[in-house]
Amino acid sequence: MADATFLDVARLRDAADTADVVLAMDEDAFRAFYDRTSGALWGYLSRISGDRQIADDLLQESYYRLLKTPVAFESENHRRNYLYRIATNLVRDARLTRRPLFDETVELADVAAPEDTADPESRADVRRALGRLKPRERAMLWLAYANGSSHAEIADALGLKTASIKLLLFRARRKLASTLQRQVTR
Amino acid sequence: MNPLHRRERDLTDAQIEAIVAGAIAAEASLARREAAPPSSAIVWWRAQMRARQEAAKAVERPLTIVHAIAIACGVGLLLSAVGTLTGGLKGSTAWLTGLYESSGTRSGALGGIDFTSLWVTLPMTAMLISALVASIAAYVIFADE
Repeated sequence: MADATFLDVARLRDAADTADVVLAMDEDAFRAFYDRTSGALWGYLSRISGDRQIADDLLQESYYRLLKTPVAFESENHRRNYLYRIATNLVRDARLTRRPLFDETVELADVAAPEDTADPESRADVRRALGRLKPRERAMLWLAYANGSSHAEIADALGLKTASIKLLLFRARRKLASTLQRQVTR
Repeated sequence: MNPLHRRERDLTDAQIEAIVAGAIAAEASLARREAAPPSSAIVWWRAQMRARQEAAKAVERPLTIVHAIAIACGVGLLLSAVGTLTGGLKGSTAWLTGLYESSGTRSGALGGIDFTSLWVTLPMTAMLISALVASIAAYVIFADE
């Protein structure tokens, strides 16, 4: 900066306005990756945060942060795990700064898709039961059973030790099953 | 019998896993149908725009610092100039006070007034305020550009 004049700085500013900025992926690679992963990530965000609007916001933020990261990914899986890690951290931050994310008295109208034919009552039970879990338990179960992630991948996404995942998953499963049972037998 | 109607302690781990996996798989299937993420082209375009804005801001940050340093230097120089000028003027009016005293024409009423303070400090204060206003105005103009 020592040799830069005001004119140099102005020229740099103009260049930043017009030039292509450097992101971690090129457009084609990004669009292909996004098309493969965005639906599942939106599902994860909406179910972990419990809010569609937050899921919409955090989806774009997650991909932007991925594009800005200087990490050199070894594989598509590595990139996907990193994306889920970013998303998980964003949900955690949103929980600290925004209103409570998971509404346990979810209205069915809020979650029903027009073409949805599943039993609305059992669907509401599942959402309510998920809402009673801790966010980390929800994330863990979702990654394991909706995404089919391995223990190592779950640990990577949630920033936990791989060795602890088995026990934490076991407890989370028991808790969810127990909550579902209480709702069914009530 | 639906496993959900049995007590949790009566269920095996495998049955619990089946209940949980089934419930989450159904919810995931619903979520996939609900999902309407924006198109990849839009997300890419927004990322480009935001990255450009952040790059521009990063370039502007040193410029703002340079502005602040320049203004601080200008104000410092101005204050030192005012100090020097005030001292010089005090010296230059001293011969006038001496003239009054030596000629014996010093008025009792005029003698109570500190000329140096009244005629020198006021214009200097006005100059200082003008210079400050001018610096701020110049900064605002160049910042807008």
